[in-house]
Amino acid sequence: MKFLETLLNGLSSGSTYAMIALGYTMVYGIAKMLNFAHGDVIMVGGYTLFVTAMTMGMHPLVALLLAVICCAILGVTIEKLAYKPLRGASPLAVLITAIGMSYLLQSMAQMIFGSADRMVRLFDLGKINIGSFRISAYTVVTLSCSAVIMVALSLFVKYTRIGRAMIAVSEDKAAAQLMGINVNFIITITFAIGSALAAFAGFFMVLKSPPVNSTLGAMPGIKAFTAAVIGGIGSIPGAMLGGILMGVVESFAQTSPVIAPFTVAIEFSILIVILLVRPSGILGKKRREKV
Amino acid sequence: MSKFRNVKWKQYVAYLLLIAATCYFGFFGLQRSLDRITTILLEKAAVAMILAVSLNLVVGFLGELSLGHAGFMCVGAYLGAKTAVALTASMGPGNELVILLISLLVGGVAAAVCGVVIGLPALRLRGDYLAIVTLAFGEIVRSIFENLPDEMFGGSLGQQAVRYIRHHLFIIGFILVILTLAIIQNFIRSKHGRAVTSIRDSEIAARATGINVTKYKLMVFTISAFFAGIAGVLFSFTQNKVQPTTFDYNYSIEILVMVVLGGMGSLNGSLIAALLITYLNEQLQIVLTGDLAVLRGLMYALVMILLVIYRNAPALKVFREKASIKNLLAKLKTHDPSKIHDDEASWDRVPTKIMVDEVLSVDIQPQSPYTPDKQWKEEK
Amino acid sequence: MKKVLAITMAALMVAAMFAGCTPAGTAGGNAKNTEFVIGMSGPLTGGAAVYGVAVKNAAQMAVDEINAAGGLNGVNFKLIATDDQHDATKVATNYANLMNQGMQVSLGTVTTAPGLEFKPLAKEDNVFFLTPSASGDKIPEFDNGFQMCFADGNQGAVAADYVNNAGLTKIGVFYKSDDSYSNGIYKQFKENLDADIEVVETSFTEATSTDFATQISQLKECPFIFMPIYYQPAAVFMEQAKNEVPAGVTYYGCDGFDGLAGQLDLTTIPQEVSMLSHFDATATEGKAAEFVKKYTEKFGAETLNQFGASAYDCVYAIYGAMKELIDEGKEVTPQTTASDLCDMLKAKFTGGYTLAEGATGANIKWNADGTVAKGAVKYNLK
Repeated sequence: MKFLETLLNGLSSGSTYAMIALGYTMVYGIAKMLNFAHGDVIMVGGYTLFVTAMTMGMHPLVALLLAVICCAILGVTIEKLAYKPLRGASPLAVLITAIGMSYLLQSMAQMIFGSADRMVRLFDLGKINIGSFRISAYTVVTLSCSAVIMVALSLFVKYTRIGRAMIAVSEDKAAAQLMGINVNFIITITFAIGSALAAFAGFFMVLKSPPVNSTLGAMPGIKAFTAAVIGGIGSIPGAMLGGILMGVVESFAQTSPVIAPFTVAIEFSILIVILLVRPSGILGKKRREKV
Repeated sequence: MSKFRNVKWKQYVAYLLLIAATCYFGFFGLQRSLDRITTILLEKAAVAMILAVSLNLVVGFLGELSLGHAGFMCVGAYLGAKTAVALTASMGPGNELVILLISLLVGGVAAAVCGVVIGLPALRLRGDYLAIVTLAFGEIVRSIFENLPDEMFGGSLGQQAVRYIRHHLFIIGFILVILTLAIIQNFIRSKHGRAVTSIRDSEIAARATGINVTKYKLMVFTISAFFAGIAGVLFSFTQNKVQPTTFDYNYSIEILVMVVLGGMGSLNGSLIAALLITYLNEQLQIVLTGDLAVLRGLMYALVMILLVIYRNAPALKVFREKASIKNLLAKLKTHDPSKIHDDEASWDRVPTKIMVDEVLSVDIQPQSPYTPDKQWKEEK
Repeated sequence: MKKVLAITMAALMVAAMFAGCTPAGTAGGNAKNTEFVIGMSGPLTGGAAVYGVAVKNAAQMAVDEINAAGGLNGVNFKLIATDDQHDATKVATNYANLMNQGMQVSLGTVTTAPGLEFKPLAKEDNVFFLTPSASGDKIPEFDNGFQMCFADGNQGAVAADYVNNAGLTKIGVFYKSDDSYSNGIYKQFKENLDADIEVVETSFTEATSTDFATQISQLKECPFIFMPIYYQPAAVFMEQAKNEVPAGVTYYGCDGFDGLAGQLDLTTIPQEVSMLSHFDATATEGKAAEFVKKYTEKFGAETLNQFGASAYDCVYAIYGAMKELIDEGKEVTPQTTASDLCDMLKAKFTGGYTLAEGATGANIKWNADGTVAKGAVKYNLK
């Protein structure tokens, strides 16, 4: 019983990680860059929810829609301003601007909204009874939503023109361009989708814990990135798997008072072990290096 | 004298400046008349310069991204501080310098051991995968030091450290910077260094030419970690407590920013960038107090983004070249083609692929009867 | 030969360049002060900024009030707040900066971690500091350091006392394992707790502070849950636990609980919430209520917490002590050096000086070891 409960808790927090990890993975797959500012897009999503739902009193779902739009626009803006000028430059330079962007978003958020937590309370989801077993509705909602999002994303990538163009760009940018694909447009779309997913993740995070502050996205961002790498960066089901794995490990680690303080260390150790066994993640494609 | 003419003085300018700075500030330091803020800035700069130069060895010369440099520093700082506390208790006052030196050695060696440990996955992983492993390593180390029982390393309150005489420490720090620079620069210019740069340019080609990639990767990680450990010990002597929160991934990233801004594979660049970033941080912190403090993060981030874009954007290349100091200087002096020497090219700038011949000559097994080196000696 | 010349020239130029700047500047000291300068270092940005900002705001408010009322014998006070981001490595620079700007007396640091770095620096120069909120046991270790808040260890011992006498057989503990405040309290709590009380221990870290589902399912059988943590994670816990934990359970916290009311609507929480603290933001009478009203009008309720209230009292305590010194005929001017002032204030604070009425209690006195002696009240928040 306790075991099942812990597992479910892990699944629900894992699905939030998975949603963030999807954003990392997509951007990495297409633009070949670690978007360190991704976690802070979640934070912006959280503040958007605060402004729309709490200050302006909109319906939570309308607020979510607005947050998704806001984040998508933000993602595209960041890409245009900070990453696009560096296309073709060393990947490290892009990494550094991404980090700079992350600092910038955090300090801007603090300037605008101050240092105190802003509370975002949207729904009270309550409990669902299945026979004698009580399960938190939050768990059900997050799990099913992230499953739907993942399936939709996979279908989108596989069966739409844009989705296939994405695959093409991630395989070989130059060849895709020769085939008449507008690479810049595809990258823009990827950032928009990734950031929209971050807004969803932000929504689920505030649903669970209402305080929003400027460092809201930093740690989940790093963990989700780890999850994306565990699953095999660039792979959509991999991101899902990695995220769930992180959540479950975290949940079980916290049941023991001796191990609990080492939770983060354990998560990262798992990452190292998995990468040592499978150098490109669980579901990552192995790339053969050619001369 | 002829030997002297061959010296590329540009490569020694850094030493010269560092020695001059050490002497100049050291003079005031020994008199204990140096302003407190300057002293702190110099200490921080020394730590940052050692870190940046040692990270550049991995990022710039081996070509592997490391996001866990603060982890090595953390190991050095904790063990160095622990050693210093133990030694101070047993040896008493009056032996500060000896204690400092022993601690440096302990911290450096401990970090170097960790360097070997993290070098092992580096053999299997590349690029961003290795980057995340190093990041994970840094966080693991920090988390372990933080959560071990309080009796061992002080837990969340941090490990007690021994503050070295404030007016003197930066002199030792600068001497360590000079030593670090000398050792790393000589390593890079040695046959080992050439092997390392060839691995960066093409691991497969390097392997094909008989370079022991495993050995060199481990070697680079170990050396880099050793100096990060040294920087950590030096850092621990600037503090009264070594606290685990200092060494989070943001710190690793700050070091990486120094390396990238300074230019990968340019040690002088790393030194300058480390100095600049430390200075910028300190000045922003001093000037922006009270309600203005919130601007600090904003300005730091903006400077960082704009600098990186300016230095790296392909679209700005033409502009950059026009505005570069080198070109401005070139306009001032006329070139005499007859005076251009072959060896005017400095090592940092020559793509190593051209040097394949030299690399080839490096790793031939000693038992082979013919080695180019030997023959060359005999000719002499 | 040319090269030698070039190198010598370069060396000379470098020397000239260095000579241009004056490292041995005589800046600093308070010889040119026209006001009494109070300095502080706190997290004004970053994750812990809410505490630093509260302290800065409240201290500034107290300074403004004192100045508006004519200052100390016509001399105004001035507060300089520097930002340390809750990072101990930034403290040395802040301290030097404050000393350069003529700091005579200090509020120390807002949080414990930087405070441990601040403490030896202040000792070296003999600068008096009265920290509003750095509650680490070791903060007032030296004779020049004083606290306005309760020390962590004391809080832990008092809480254990309370639990021992409450007739409980099983309690839960929920603490933050990478936080010195939480650790400091819990350590002493554990040591003083009766051995026959069963403890269910759970913890979290900064990196795992948004989802407490696992801990809640561990703790839900405990009738009493001790939470030596700050109000933000406590609020998250309570909201996530409100349907899981039975309604009769008591959440018991220390002074960190204060601020809960601003974080969540306590009436929606079915469990009992109480804390042992020196300040209650929902107070309706006395100096505390007055402070709450003034602070909220000026800065809003978001950053209202006991950190601010303590800082407010700190400024008044320092002001009161300096006033008494002047009344006694001692010379206290903006030119009095920090060290001289420190000696006088030390004697004052350890010699039975009393802050008659403050936002965090009445008849506040200080023990010889620098810790505060004032009444802690058990508030039933809900």
